[in-house]
Amino acid sequence: MEQVIGLHWIDMLIVVIYMIGSLMLGMYCTRFVGSAEDFFIAGKALPFWAIGFSIVTSDIGATDFVAVAGAAYTHGVSAANFDWMGSMPAMVIAAFVFVPYFWRSGVFTIPEFLGRRYNTAVQFINGLIWAVVLFFMLAIMQWLSADKLMNTILGWNPYLTLWLTAAITGIYTFSGGLTAVVFTDVVQLVVMYVGGFGLLALSLWEVGGWSALHAKVLAMGPQYQDHFRLLLPHNTTGPFPWTGIVFGLGLVMAVAYMSGNQVIVQRTLGARSEWDAKGGMLFGGLLKAMIPLMVALPGLCAIVLLPNLGAENADRAVPEMIRQLMPAGLRGLMFAALFAAMMSHISATLNSTTTIFITDIVGQLRSWTKLPPLREQSALRMGRFITAALIITTALLAEPIANREQIYVFMQTILSLFQGPLLAILLLGIVWPRATQWGGLAGLVLGVMCCFVLKYTPGLFPSEDPFLFVAWWSFVFAIIVTVVVSLLTPREPDDKLRGLVWSSVVRDDEVQGALQERITQ
Amino acid sequence: MEQAIENGFKVVFYPILAPIFHSIDSVLTRLPDGLAGLCGVGLFVSAMFWVCVLLNKDYVNRGRPYKSIWTDLRLWTIISMAPHVLVYFYFR
Repeated sequence: MEQVIGLHWIDMLIVVIYMIGSLMLGMYCTRFVGSAEDFFIAGKALPFWAIGFSIVTSDIGATDFVAVAGAAYTHGVSAANFDWMGSMPAMVIAAFVFVPYFWRSGVFTIPEFLGRRYNTAVQFINGLIWAVVLFFMLAIMQWLSADKLMNTILGWNPYLTLWLTAAITGIYTFSGGLTAVVFTDVVQLVVMYVGGFGLLALSLWEVGGWSALHAKVLAMGPQYQDHFRLLLPHNTTGPFPWTGIVFGLGLVMAVAYMSGNQVIVQRTLGARSEWDAKGGMLFGGLLKAMIPLMVALPGLCAIVLLPNLGAENADRAVPEMIRQLMPAGLRGLMFAALFAAMMSHISATLNSTTTIFITDIVGQLRSWTKLPPLREQSALRMGRFITAALIITTALLAEPIANREQIYVFMQTILSLFQGPLLAILLLGIVWPRATQWGGLAGLVLGVMCCFVLKYTPGLFPSEDPFLFVAWWSFVFAIIVTVVVSLLTPREPDDKLRGLVWSSVVRDDEVQGALQERITQ
Repeated sequence: MEQAIENGFKVVFYPILAPIFHSIDSVLTRLPDGLAGLCGVGLFVSAMFWVCVLLNKDYVNRGRPYKSIWTDLRLWTIISMAPHVLVYFYFR
């Protein structure tokens, strides 16, 4: 089963043209970058459609094509919950609860918003958590794509792939900032759709259509009877029980991801208007709804087409189908789609990590050491320097960080360890004016500690990997802590809350004026 | 290292937390299967209801470039969520 796929010269040509095209488009965007605001939030000029495209490509990596298809092969359509239940409701909540306040407050990052709403300690801790997590994710996604994907499937040297993608994404992110990232994302999603739907069409054709797929999978044995159920029973042996999916994923992890993840939210902060910011989220949700069709359904088709693959080789489902079903030319397009997913994921994370480093870590350290804030051009220069340093460092450390067993579990674990508490303080910060800075700080710190306790105390939950339940209960715990500590501490002055909470003045000009005054103080 | 943490937490926290979470688990296990689909679809429907009915229309559409049905984000919400309702109904 460990066969590599040979590429025809036409396929290679398509991949090379795609990569050079991405680089040139990214470099073209350099002309729009003259300030730190241009570099970090695209000069607040992004239209809704570009935001929607970019949110989806920032979220979907090359490994999703392989891993989600593998999960669908093993667990059925319930693997698609992460892109359906785990996206659209959360994106609606993000669009109408969080994004308007982030956008109006003119911040560059989510920790910066938390800093204004609570205090600088909350900003620094939150920024530090995100910077470390995104650094690890950057290294992991580079190595996973280069080694587990391109080396396993194509037999390419992983170091060559790693440095090639690092160089291309690094150069255009370094030069064009968020504008380059977003507009290359638009092209990359189109390429991903063409490649992904091409594979879906061919595999459905081979199986004999949807009805045949349904009948053939169900006829394969009792272990496949739940493969067409999205919400599985609570006591299922698999990792996706309905209670965890609805409460842990739908109400906590997804909302925290779509509202508190810098990589996702940064695109809306660069919107040209509040309407574009909200519309971009909704449009992104619609585009994202189609992702499971091209990443999960091929996994179901593989059950019929590759019945002897076995659960242990489920991640080979997509590579095997590419090898067996796709002709020369289309195969090149599919690999261009995988490169597109890989590059967009890396560039988005790179740009967001840089923004957090500059705004929440360097900015706060300068403030605490009584140094003046960075000037516009200095921030731009430092942003570019950190972008270059990050891509080189993560490429160098990619193998030792990521070359471990159960890398997906590691990634999910580090994400689930703070998503619940982060959402709790974000939500209370916006909807409850009584939430105080000490309540927010206690909720964040004790909430993360609660995550560790729930995660590392064995036998509390039926699932072997209970990250969905950990997210839900840590969210509930952080809400309680924040409320209790807030009620025990003095309320925040009204002036501080202006424009940052649901019930405060919402007239744009007035709020922007008040916030501008605070920024320039 | 990870094993040592798990062992330590099991001694300290398991006796306190297990009765709480195990009793919640036994309640959840007894819930009827049909409730899963109802909660799933309910999440999408209630989000649509919230945006289209409960939220202030001006707040939802603040900053829109021109007044037209096609720039109304309440319509966008329905268009982007309705397919999900059908999907969760189909795969129930």
